[in-house]
Amino acid sequence: MSTSATPGRVDPILMEIIAHAFVAVAEEMSITVWRTSRSTTVRELLDYSTAVFDGEGRNVAQAARMPVHLNSMELCLQEIIAHHLPLEAWQDGDVIVTNDPYCGGQHLPDFIAFKPVYVEGRRIAITCTLIHHVDVGGGAAGGYNAHAVEIFQEGFRLPPVKIVRAGAMQDDLLATILQNVRDPETFRGDFLSQIAALEMGARGLRGLAARYGIDQLIAVGAALLDHSERAMRAAIRALPDGVYHAEDFVDGDGLDPGQKRIAVTLTIKGDEIAVDLAGTADQARGPINATMATTKSAVYYATIAAAGVAALANSGCYRPITVAAPEGSLVNARFPAPVSMRMLTGHRIATAVLKAFAAAVPERIPASYYGVTFNHAINILHEDGRRQVYFDYSIGGWGAHPEVDGPSGFAAGFHNGQNTPIEMVEAIFPLRFTRYGFVPDSGGAGRTRGGLGLERSFEFLAERGLFNGSFDAFVSRPYGLAGGSPGKGGRLSVTRGATTTELPAKTIGHELRMGDIVSMITPGGGGFGPPAERPADRLAADKIDGLVTATGLAEYSGAGVNGGEP
Amino acid sequence: MAHSASLAPASPAAGSGFRLAIDIGGTFTDLECVNLATGESVSFKTATTPDDFSIGFMNAVTGAAERFGFALGDIRLLMHGTTIATNAVLTRNLPEGALITTAGFEDVLEIGRHARKDVYSLKPESRSVLVPRRRRFGVVERMGAKGEVVRQLDPASLDAITRAVATSGVGVVAIALLNAYLNPAHEIAIRDHLRAKLPTLRISCSHEVSPEIREFERTSTTVLNAMLMPVVQTYIMKLKARMASAGLEAPLYLVQSNGGATTPEAAAIAPVKLLLSGPSGGVLAAERLAHALGLDRIVGVDMGGTSYDVALIQNGRRAVIAQGEVDGLPLRVPMVEMRTIGAGGGSIASVDATGRLKVGPESAGAKPGPVCYRRGGTAPTTTDANVILGRLGAEGFMRGAFPLDAEAARTALDEKVATPLGLTVEAAAEGILGVVTAKLAGAIKLSLFERGLDPRDFALMSFGGAGGLHAVEVADELGMLTVIFPRNPSTFSAHGILQSDIAHDLARTRITPLNADAAGTINTLRADMAATGRALLAADKLPPEAVSLHFSADLRYRGQAFELMMPLDDGPLDAAGIATLIEAFHRQHFERFSFDDRRESVEMVTLRLMGIGALGGIGSHAMAAAPGAPTPDFRQVYLGGRWRDVPVFQQDTLTVASPVIGPAIIEQDYTTLLLTEGWTLTLAASGDMMARKIGDAA
Repeated sequence: MSTSATPGRVDPILMEIIAHAFVAVAEEMSITVWRTSRSTTVRELLDYSTAVFDGEGRNVAQAARMPVHLNSMELCLQEIIAHHLPLEAWQDGDVIVTNDPYCGGQHLPDFIAFKPVYVEGRRIAITCTLIHHVDVGGGAAGGYNAHAVEIFQEGFRLPPVKIVRAGAMQDDLLATILQNVRDPETFRGDFLSQIAALEMGARGLRGLAARYGIDQLIAVGAALLDHSERAMRAAIRALPDGVYHAEDFVDGDGLDPGQKRIAVTLTIKGDEIAVDLAGTADQARGPINATMATTKSAVYYATIAAAGVAALANSGCYRPITVAAPEGSLVNARFPAPVSMRMLTGHRIATAVLKAFAAAVPERIPASYYGVTFNHAINILHEDGRRQVYFDYSIGGWGAHPEVDGPSGFAAGFHNGQNTPIEMVEAIFPLRFTRYGFVPDSGGAGRTRGGLGLERSFEFLAERGLFNGSFDAFVSRPYGLAGGSPGKGGRLSVTRGATTTELPAKTIGHELRMGDIVSMITPGGGGFGPPAERPADRLAADKIDGLVTATGLAEYSGAGVNGGEP
Repeated sequence: MAHSASLAPASPAAGSGFRLAIDIGGTFTDLECVNLATGESVSFKTATTPDDFSIGFMNAVTGAAERFGFALGDIRLLMHGTTIATNAVLTRNLPEGALITTAGFEDVLEIGRHARKDVYSLKPESRSVLVPRRRRFGVVERMGAKGEVVRQLDPASLDAITRAVATSGVGVVAIALLNAYLNPAHEIAIRDHLRAKLPTLRISCSHEVSPEIREFERTSTTVLNAMLMPVVQTYIMKLKARMASAGLEAPLYLVQSNGGATTPEAAAIAPVKLLLSGPSGGVLAAERLAHALGLDRIVGVDMGGTSYDVALIQNGRRAVIAQGEVDGLPLRVPMVEMRTIGAGGGSIASVDATGRLKVGPESAGAKPGPVCYRRGGTAPTTTDANVILGRLGAEGFMRGAFPLDAEAARTALDEKVATPLGLTVEAAAEGILGVVTAKLAGAIKLSLFERGLDPRDFALMSFGGAGGLHAVEVADELGMLTVIFPRNPSTFSAHGILQSDIAHDLARTRITPLNADAAGTINTLRADMAATGRALLAADKLPPEAVSLHFSADLRYRGQAFELMMPLDDGPLDAAGIATLIEAFHRQHFERFSFDDRRESVEMVTLRLMGIGALGGIGSHAMAAAPGAPTPDFRQVYLGGRWRDVPVFQQDTLTVASPVIGPAIIEQDYTTLLLTEGWTLTLAASGDMMARKIGDAA
């Protein structure tokens, strides 16, 4: 390469080359986790993320995966640096790990690990992996304790600690963690994979430093953040200035069934955006609370998506965005509020912010997607005393886009990920599925139709099990836009013999016996535009494909009314 | 090596006459023909006939026979690479089909794995669903996770779906039931019932196409197979009819995605295995050339106008993967491993609104093409940067038949890239090429990384029109010390097909803890698979001495989802052999992923066999040596930040005795090579060229 950096200005060619190299490092870390992890949560659902930070802890590159993780990792790292382990205390060969929502994390199953990368004694970068672990002890398998009123009931809490010191794994600390979780072998396998990936990333970064020089690498990292900031500001400038209000709702908190309001005031002014969540419900007694890491992450996701920025995703994108959330509210909970189901609130923060954007740029924003992660875990107790923890989740339909129908049963919004193949679940756990498919008439009616929700139902085949569900949007249905109807809500039921029992969205320890059938129905997405404007050929096709039934026809053609607002 | 197995006269490859390879591409149908008595090979090109590819096929054969003076009766063997299946998928020119699933799981095909690719987009990406919901029919039945029958196939339900299929009027049906990979009884029963009731229906069953766990991938592959059946069967029928009426009786073999050849009869029922038939020709050629040059670790790269394909040769063999993707559709059949990125000669360079330089993946394609092609292109491309810097000769391009407009390229690149970035045209052009080099190197690095391999252990082999100008710089970037340029890159793929062997892939999934007890299980399984493999090859009329069997085992730590493929030695395993295998696995896991876990148990998931039926090596034919030392022309080339006078050689004047020292440029008929400073290039007796980094002792 003949070109070289001139003072005060980064060579644009090197910048492009190194930008790709940073992303490639994050991808290599991602491949390592994917290929070496043990749980279906990580290797099939892909519930993990990887990223690269500069030496000061600013996020420069991400492997595209889970928006909820990616946009919170920097907050966690900065919290650790500021309040727990200052960077001066970090050394070559260390790995720092935490799962504490009150140290910058989100909820206890997510363990976030960081590794500083040193070259010639200088800290040139930090690598990061975040993995959702299958179990963290506490009152419910999988960590979703619907009846928790404080975080101590949700599981094992690890403050930011050095699990590896100067290259030496702290075996006593690892043993302590493993002693506190329900499936230590799976935890250990996933944890080792998470730590190994940090080193794979570090190797890549050391190679980049050798190739381009430490100073160049650091200068390019800083320039990439500035570039993303400029791109974000340019995109915001293109949005109409104004103050926009919106709200969305979360079903009850597990103890109190009343809906909780999330209120958004979005201010677009010049090249900056402010999101104020004042007016949001007070923090809940049950576990649906969000800490600022979740809240900011949701606002960042929604804003980047709404602004339509085609830049390299990194923390430069966050600079023009300010987030205010009242302390002690649902979206900025105080210690020791329980937070295991924070994702339910996180989704609705994102949908509320998107709804506010719909007032500014209606041609760009779809109706609400399903707005929930249908997380569930079963503590399986076999006759011979063996124990297994099955963790899985389901998703629903996209909201209708102004131009196209929402896809059915497709990951949307604040999270992303794969399903676990039915055959894989059945090969490992004592379950047999009875249905996995679309729920007819569940998409919101409109000129464009919302995507359909999914039914995922199985028969339980072990002696005894305890079912925990972290669900939502049973009552608070995904909103329609511009005259479109909301999507249908979710449902959970268990059938034993001839009796079907409806269960609440937040369910803990529901006892399963051999032969019980658990049925989960996820919400459809909202519709867009008046249903009466639905083209006849589209309606006819939906009817032939069984997406709309004879009963639903009136509603989808605009002749009937969709049953009730939330 | 399998390829050197001797041949008996009874085999399809006799010792005299001619063997032909026909490779049908988008524009040209390439034919490569070898005289089995002399080893001499010649090539022939004719236009592809998209309305009926079999016409082009016969045109090529009869044209070559006339040109080179042999009778059709002298042809001993026809090897055929075809993109017929690929084209049908890319254009979605597929027949309407139906899908039969276990009742309650009709939507598995559409749900897929349900993750989206662009995480921030609010407009949904389109999902390619080959069978609409109205033609996905559920049948009441259920197999359990151990292959046990949980619910018998319901006769009333079977009658109902039979009527539904008949009413829908489709000609093809895919059957994919849950857990059918463990017990195919219900799939077979449904197939037999449908055959009896609807005899013209073409049917494909998941337990035959892809007998492995994970229902979506198996279903998707089976659906694709069913839909390709009429496409490929019609083609084969036409082709055979044309061959028969021309009196061409030589046996015909089709090249599959795994690089091995198969009979038309086998291809007709498993057409999905032909989807990577086209690209696998180049990989085969790379494999054979590596073998001829005595190299066993090669990265083969094919750079064209819009894309860059990366394939691997390891231990002398092409890397084959068990699952891939074609145009967004998952496909689970063995195929040559190939990573494709959008970087080619036509990749467009631009500066975005925030001042960042971008190169590709947008491409100017063949039309309008690069600015310098004078076909109306206005966006500067990789090729334009090469012309501006003198790497690509404007006058001598295609031997002077197609002069390039360097001035127009310069103006466009100045306006669109150099001025916005505040750089000179030369610095901007060199910068663009630097970005391209980094992208190409990145693709290679990621391909190797996924297998835990180090580029420095590999040689680079560059084929395809646009690669020669970049290969040495890419090798430098990756620390690779050797770059190989084949003699005749434009017919390289056909040349590879010519040398294809028959290959049968067999796999048996038996999740088994790898301990001393496992030896017996593996040995039994292996004996059974060996018998099956030998029988299949005997059915292909191959004598035992032409047959070789290669076993490998997919190993993982208990609970992992992915395995490492470990080759097995010949002969039965004993306890010591198991211990050696486990140790090798730990080591490879450590090398690839920076850790091993000796506390954890290792398990075998799948035992694999590749049965090779050698159709006979083809002796390479030495080139006639050019007399004397070559005398180059000189031209101004911008290299390393300055203009320099660089020698330009014509490939056909190079001699074995006179190596070329970089910097230098070597021009071939269809491509140009750049040798940078610090590299030398030597000509092999075969006419292939090998560039080495100076100081490389290897």
